[in-house]
Order: sequence, then structure tokens, then C-alpha cells
Amino acid sequence: MNRLMRAGLYLLLVMTLLPLTCASAMTGREVYEKVHELRQRALDRRVEGTLVLFDKGGTTRSRSLIEYSKKADPEAYKVLVVFQTPPDLKDVGFLVHARTFSDRDLWAYFPEFKRIRRIPTTSQDDAFFGTDFSYDDFGGPPNLDDYSFSIQGEEVVDGKPCYVVEVTPKVHRKYTRFVAWVAKDLWVHLKIAYYRDKELYRSGRFMEVRMVDDIATAHKVRMENNATGHATELTVDAIQYHTRFPDDLFSQRSLERAGK
Amino acid sequence: MNLINLLRHISLKHVRLQKAQLLIAVVGIGLGVAAMVAIDIVNVSVLRSFAESIDQITGRAALEISGAESGFPEALLERVQEVPGVEYAVPVIETNANLADGSKRAVMILGVDVLQDHQIRNYSLTDEAADIPDPLLFLAKKDSILLSKAMAKQEKIAIDQEIRLQTVEGIKTFKVRGLLNPEGPARVAGGDIAIMDVYAAQLAFGKEGRIDRIDVSFLPGGKLDTMKARIQQVLPSGYTVDTPAGRTRQVEILLERFQKNMAFTSTMVMFVGMYLIYNIISISVVQRRKEIGILRAIGARRSEIITLFFAETCVVAALGSLLGIGLGLAFAKLTVGFVAQYITDVYLQTSVTSLTFSSGMFFRDAALGILASLLAAASPVLSSVRFTPLAAIRAQSSGGDGFILSRNIKLASALLLALSLGLFAAYRAAGPGSDFRSSTVTVASAIFLIVGISLLTPAILQGTMLLFHRFLSPWLGVAGRLAGINLQKNIGRNGVAVGAIFFSISLYVCSASAMHSLNVSMFDWIDSIIRADLLISSGSPLAAGGAHSIPMPESLAGELEKIPGVRMVEPFRKGYLTYENKKILLEIFDVALRMEYCPGMFAEGNREEVIRQVPGQDTIFINEGFATQYNLHPGDSVVLPTPGGPVRFGVAAIAVSYSSDAGVVWMDVHTYRRHWQDTLVDTYEVLVKEKSEIPRVRQAILDRLGQERHLFVLPALEFRNEIKKLLANTSVLFQAVNILVLLIAGFGIVITLLASVLERTREIGVLRAIGMKKNQVAGVVILESALIGTLGGLLGSATGLLLGWIAVEGFFRLDYGASIVYHVDFSAIAWAILLSTGLAALAGFYPARRAAGINIVEALTYE
Repeated sequence: MNRLMRAGLYLLLVMTLLPLTCASAMTGREVYEKVHELRQRALDRRVEGTLVLFDKGGTTRSRSLIEYSKKADPEAYKVLVVFQTPPDLKDVGFLVHARTFSDRDLWAYFPEFKRIRRIPTTSQDDAFFGTDFSYDDFGGPPNLDDYSFSIQGEEVVDGKPCYVVEVTPKVHRKYTRFVAWVAKDLWVHLKIAYYRDKELYRSGRFMEVRMVDDIATAHKVRMENNATGHATELTVDAIQYHTRFPDDLFSQRSLERAGK
Repeated sequence: MNLINLLRHISLKHVRLQKAQLLIAVVGIGLGVAAMVAIDIVNVSVLRSFAESIDQITGRAALEISGAESGFPEALLERVQEVPGVEYAVPVIETNANLADGSKRAVMILGVDVLQDHQIRNYSLTDEAADIPDPLLFLAKKDSILLSKAMAKQEKIAIDQEIRLQTVEGIKTFKVRGLLNPEGPARVAGGDIAIMDVYAAQLAFGKEGRIDRIDVSFLPGGKLDTMKARIQQVLPSGYTVDTPAGRTRQVEILLERFQKNMAFTSTMVMFVGMYLIYNIISISVVQRRKEIGILRAIGARRSEIITLFFAETCVVAALGSLLGIGLGLAFAKLTVGFVAQYITDVYLQTSVTSLTFSSGMFFRDAALGILASLLAAASPVLSSVRFTPLAAIRAQSSGGDGFILSRNIKLASALLLALSLGLFAAYRAAGPGSDFRSSTVTVASAIFLIVGISLLTPAILQGTMLLFHRFLSPWLGVAGRLAGINLQKNIGRNGVAVGAIFFSISLYVCSASAMHSLNVSMFDWIDSIIRADLLISSGSPLAAGGAHSIPMPESLAGELEKIPGVRMVEPFRKGYLTYENKKILLEIFDVALRMEYCPGMFAEGNREEVIRQVPGQDTIFINEGFATQYNLHPGDSVVLPTPGGPVRFGVAAIAVSYSSDAGVVWMDVHTYRRHWQDTLVDTYEVLVKEKSEIPRVRQAILDRLGQERHLFVLPALEFRNEIKKLLANTSVLFQAVNILVLLIAGFGIVITLLASVLERTREIGVLRAIGMKKNQVAGVVILESALIGTLGGLLGSATGLLLGWIAVEGFFRLDYGASIVYHVDFSAIAWAILLSTGLAALAGFYPARRAAGINIVEALTYE
């Protein structure tokens, strides 16, 4: 009996602890599959935002923008970003057409030149129009197969428990790896640090995470260039999900007309 | 006694006695070495600076694609970007502008695709290497410009400040959106560089839809030859795909003429230096014969005496070489700017900020100076041990004159002269384009002529003296007879002095005649091509190293025509074509209009053929240089690269031009615009209705259009005169060098005569003792000197005339690729004889004074 009771208790213990063991044994890839799923869900949206650029001397420059995005086929999506202010930058635009998560075209439009310019995909890690964000930050979700993931542990950021995942690109990128702090259950980044070999060159904080239409959304993102001391803060002023914009909005013609 | 002791106890004594002679020898060698050093430094510095500029400006690019000078369609960019293996293919615009304010300096404008150019070039526009407060604003605004920090500091320009630049569209205002650290392209042109976005540069500099270059980098594993072939495949023919080093190679070719000219000058000067060394050592050997005899008698071996003289030569040559290196650095500093400007005009703004002079160059140039001196000293040094110690002590003649007056020497001289004339005759007989028509043949002919006559100078002196005794000396009394006898006494040494004068005078007459011929021909040519009344450009047409001429739009012609008093406006455009790896000058004008008022100068074909065949058609006319290089004649055709691909152009005529040695092609403006899609204009040539109206029309043009752009409105007459003045200045420079050579030769005469006076101290004492007056003794010495000078002058003038012809036919025709009619410069010959006689007489004054001042008692006891 005792033996039977002991076996029963052991089984009960195993069954009770099993979910916990499973949760902490989540792989980096699994964590990122969750992040990926959320980012895909967040694709149909309209965001009004403000970018504030801080230089190392403390001077700030501000600009406002509207971002439109649309999800199409399983992997395809389109993004249009149009600057609203200051007047010098009004109607400067940025367009992304992704055929798959790893195959996309990027264009920029400068009204004063009346010219659409292609941005090479090799520039995706370059600064997004002089900010500390990259063009990639304004794109959609990546192709997970292009990276390898390794879970580094768990930490608490801004009072929220996070998985710490090290992500290493398999293809050539401007960074050699990044470490991301992904909030458990919310599946959004709260912190990110990009490295070139051992050198930390860019780091970001995702703040004021609130649920909008059941999607966890950071309302303030601060990205810093650790080499120059330059920083950029993006504040989400208004956001709307599930927008279902027409395809026309994401055409080159629309880019030239600032989404109008 | 070791060498140092010999130098200290024997040579140093002579140094004290022969300070002036040594100084002259040091200066002679120094000048020769200086010319070599200057060539080396300028050449290496310009090439290094150019190669560095290319490296900085091309960055990681493995290949450069270039087409027509005026740019090519940017649509080609996509074709190149799609070539498998291409990592980046980025557009580049390379042009020039001038600051409209401040120092008005010339600025190189580099237009790059700011969004991706950092992938190719070694600077980054978006990170800490550059201080650009707002990169997006830089990209979004077409007035954005980045300046190098160095230039901004010099011009006191700050970020966000507006600057005005003279551009194709007139004076435009740009906003400085950032300053570049001195890295990568920001180091080019000595920091006088501004960077713009390529599309903003297109708008500002009238290059809409066009780019000047595509820089290409490869994906890892891309092989140069394979990639080059792949890229060439997608391009229309006529485009050049080359490595960035290819441009440096082209500049090396371009510098060849400069090197050749300088090497020629250097050899000439060095030759004079060698003459001096030969002269000084010869005299030293004569003066120290007794001493040599004593040294030999007390046991010094021949080899020790030879070593001693060579060691002395080495010391003098080393001092000369050191002086030469210093002078060479100064010459290089003076000339490097001109050479850099030349490269800037044809290729890329090149500014030499520092001169390169390595220890290797130092030792090589010094060694060459010493070697040349040792070579010059060899003959007299070896002759120093030919006589026995006893003969030396008794000061018996070495019999050296016998050798230099021997039949063998005369035969050798005749052979060399025959060779020289034969070569030149064969050169003249060979048709244009023949391999025999090379500068090697003409230089060889000139050298054989000089050496041939040099060897003959003692014999000529001997012959002249016979004639002198027969015809002239009776008229000159005792002084004349004595002078004649003295000159005959040592034909060898005096022959050397005649040779030195002959050499410098022949160079002087050669150079003067060639320059005179070039001037007359060029003046005729300038008069034949510049017939307009006013020349309008945006940079001074006479600026040698200053502001660039920024092209002007075609529309300006209409505005000019509206100005009262203007009869006709003709556009002129200048560019370069790459033809068989050479930059051919392309000059474009309205041929029908131009031929109405300009006769031109034609070598083959004529004006009527040009008027009939060229306007609006795929027919060109070319200069002699281009025709000769590629064996072209009227009626032939040539395939030239155009932005739309290669086009076959007929050749209507061959005309004369001195604009470019690589070749000149003239094309009608309508044909050019059709193929090049380029409507810009470099110079407007304006004819006015009444010549008396020129000043008024000039002012009206400045009043009407001078506000929008900096305009230089120059009366053509003034321009022609300025060009002539520039040419005249160039010849003055040449003549200054020649006079310097002449002066050195004059010093040579002083040395020769001094030695002669010293040798004849006892004889002069005897003459004085038997009643000859001081002024009579002085008169003899001066007469000797004048005779040497006159003979040298006459020989030099005759040889110089021949050399001038060889130079015009061979050197200038080959180098400038243009006919030059040989004009004898009689005034130069008169000057040459006057100078050689006068200078020689002047040079005789010091030895004459010394001879006259001899103490009779001391002289009689002199041995």
C-alpha cells in the first residue's frame, strides 16, 4: 500500500509539475514563434507616431509620421510610412513590399526630387532616415529560418517576467547577434541589445505596453546608438488594428501622393 | 698614407686655393641633380596623391564603369545591379564648382547615393565618422550639401549655414547639413570637397538623368576578369570597365610628356655639370702635375693617385648632389602645382598636399650625381698618371693634345656627325605614323651631333687659330699674336672651354629657335581660331590654377542674342573621349557658324570640305596628332564612343591644333547634342555688329546676366594678347634656364683662363720684365677669353640652328602632334654670339687682373 501510495503521490507530483517544466523548457525558437505570431496579427494597422531624436549634445528634433500596414498572403505584407512634420519632411515616404518574410523590396520617396528611390535590401540594418531605428524595425516579421535561437534564461524587466533569448542570424547582417527580452504571455520585446561581435552598438527599450484590440502594444520605444550616444524615441499617439486597407494604398503611386 | 690623410694634406690645400672653381663645380652638379630630384618628386608626389585620391574616392569599388565625359544615362545602373555577382553598383557624379563668396575656391563635388554609398566608400554618412545632425533632412532637401571640416574651418562656414556655389544653373544657394571628418573622400583634393546626394547633384549641375560613373563591388568570391566580362556584356560598347588603378595608369601615361621634358632638361644641365667637372679636374691635374710627380717619386702608386682624384671628385659631387637635392625640393615645390592642375583639368581634382621624397630617391639621385661626376672626371684622372714621375716634376708636356687632335678622334667625330645627319634624314624621309618617327631617333640624332662637334672642338680651335694667325692677328698687334700662341699652346684645355661655350650656346639657340617657331606657329593658330569679339565663360578662361569654368545652359544663347549690338552667338563645349585608353580632347562648336568667320589651319583637306561634310552629320575633323597616331586621312572613318554606344564618324579634314598631344577631335554641336544629349556650353563666343561697340556690349552682358552667375566676359583681343603673353612668359623661363647654362659655361672659361694664367706665371713675369705693360698683359688674357667665347658662340649657334630644327621636327611635332614651321630666331643668334663673346671677355677679367698684378720678381722665380 505504502508503495502504491508512494507511486501515486509521485505520479501526482509529476503531473502537477509537468506544465511548469514544459513552460521553462520553452526553446528560443518557440518563444520567437509566439513573437512572430503576434507580429503577424499586428500587421493590419494604422499608427500615428512621433519620433524624437536626441543627439549627444542634448538637442532634440521631432517629427511625426503615420504608418499603414497590411497583411496579404501567408507571408506577404506591405507597409507604408509617411512623414507629416516638420514641413521640410512632409510627405517623405517609405514603402515595403514583402513577398515572403525574407524577400522584400524597400523604396523611399522624396517630394522635392519627385523621385522614388529603391533602398537595397542589404541596407535593411541601416539607420531609418537618420534615426536610431533600422529600416528592418519598420518592416514586418522576419523569416525565423534565417536565425538560430538560444534561450539564455529568464529575467524580470519593468516588473514583467521575460525570456532572455539570444538570436543569431544565419545570413550576413550588420549585427552578429541580438539578445531580446520577451515578455512571457505578452510575446512582445521589452528590451533588445544588438551586438557586433562582443561590442554592444544598439539597444532598445519597449515601454508602456498596453493591450489594444487584444494585441500587446508598446506605446513608447527608445532606441539608442551606444557608439554615438544618439537616441530616438518613438511614441505611439494613436493606433488602430484590423484596418484592412486597400492594396492601392501601398502602391508606388500612393507613395508619391503620401498615401492620399 | 691613407686616403683620408691624402685628402686632408693634399686636396684640402687645393680647396683653399680653388674655392671659386669648386663652388662652380658644386653648383653645376647641383643644378643637374636638382632637375632630376624635381622630376622624381613631382612625378611620385602627383602620382601618389592621385592614387590616394582614387583610393579614397573609389573606396571598396573593384571596378569603375565610365562612359562619355558628359555622363551617361542612369538607367544603366539597374542593368549593372542585376549582373550576377555584383554586390553593390552605386552611381557617382564627379564635378566641380566654385564658391561664389569667400575665397571663391574651386570645390570638387562628389554626388553619391547617400542611401547606399557607405557600402562602397570608406566614410559613413550616418555614423560617428560624420557629423550630420539630420540625415533625413539631408536626403529630403535638394539644397543639402556636406563640406569637409577642413574647408568649412578655412571658410568659416558652420552647420546649417547657407553657402553660394557657382553651378551650371547659375549661382545657387546650398545649406550645409553636415561636416565630414578628414576620412575617405573628404581627404580628396586637399579637403576642398563637398558631398551631395547624387540626385541633388544632377539637378544642381545640369546632369538630370545622367551619372558620370558607376562604382561596383563584388559579392565574396567574385573574380575580377569574370565580373569585368559579365558587366561589359550588359553595357553598350564604348563604355570603359576598369579597376580604379586604371585611372592611375592613364595619369602615368599623361605624365610621360612632363617626365620626358624634365628628363631632357635634367640631362642637358647634368651634361653642363659634367663639362665643368671635366674642366676642373683637367686643370687640377695640369696644375698639380709636379705634386703628382713628387708623390709618385716618393712611392705613391698610380692607383693611389687615381683614387685621390676620384675621391676629390666624389667629395665635390656629393656636395653638389646635396645642394641639388635641396634645390630640387624647391623646384618641385614650384612646379608640382602646375602638374597637379593639368591632372585636375583632364581627370580628377588633384591637390598635392605634401611632397614625397624617400630615402631611396635621395640615395639614387645623389648616386647619379656622383656617378656622372666620376664619369666626367675619368679621362683627366686617368691622364694624371700617364707621364713618368720625372716628366711630371720637370713639368714636361704629357702630349695629351696629340691624342685629342688625333686622326682617330676626328674619324669618330665625322662618324658621329654622319650618323646624326643620316638619322635625321631618315626620320624626315619616313612617313607619318612610321615607327622610325620616334623621339628616340631625334634625341639620338641630336646627341650624336653634339658629341660629334664636341670631339671636334680642339681640331676646330686649332684650325681657327691658324686662320687667326694668318688673317686677324696682324691687325691685333703683339697682344693678338700672344693670345693666339697661348691658345694654341694648350689646345686640349682650351678646346674644352670652347666646347663648354659651344654646348651652352647650342642649347640656347636650339631652345630659342624652337620656342620662336612654336610661338609664331601658335600665334598664327590662335589668330586663326579666335575670331570672335567676346568670350563668355563662368570661370576665367585665363585661370591657370584657379576657378574652374562651370558649364552654362544652352538657354543663355537666346538671352545673349537679345542684347542690342550682338550679331552672333556661338556655343563652345569641351570634353574628353576615351579612345584606346587615351583621353582625346573633344571640341564642339557650331561648325557652319564658326567657318563663317574663322579660317582655321588645315594640314590635309580644307575648309570647304569641313563646311560641306561636318555640320549636323556624323563627320568630324581631327588634328594631326590623332591622325598620325591612328594613320587617318580625309575620307577615312573612325569609331568613337558615345553615350548611346560606338558611332562611326567620317573624317573630313586634318587640322592644326596645339591643344592636346593625345589628339583633338572637332565635332559639330548639333551632332554632339544628338549623340551625347548634352546641351551645356563651356564658352559662348560672341560677334558684335560694330567693333566699336565691344565695350558697350560687354557691359550690357554683365549688367543683364552677371547677377545670376559669375561671368567672365573677355574681349577676344585681350584674351589673344593674354595667351600670347603667357606663351612669351614660358619662353622667358626657357631662356632664363639657357642663360643660367651660359653663365655656368662663363664660369668654366674663368677656370680655364685662371689655370692658363697660373701655368704661365713665369712667362708673364718674363714679358713684364722685358717691358710689357700691365694693361697689355690683361689685354692678352681678355683677348684669349673673347676668342674662346666667339668660337664657342659661332659653333654653338650653327649647331643650335640644326638642333632647333631637330627639336621642332622631332620633339614638338611628336609631342604636340602638330606641325610647326621652323623659324630661325636671328635675334637669338645675335644675342648668343654677343653673349658668348661678352661673357667670355668678362670671364677673362679676373684672370687678366691676376695676370696683370703678378709680382715680376716672384713670377720669375716661379716654377
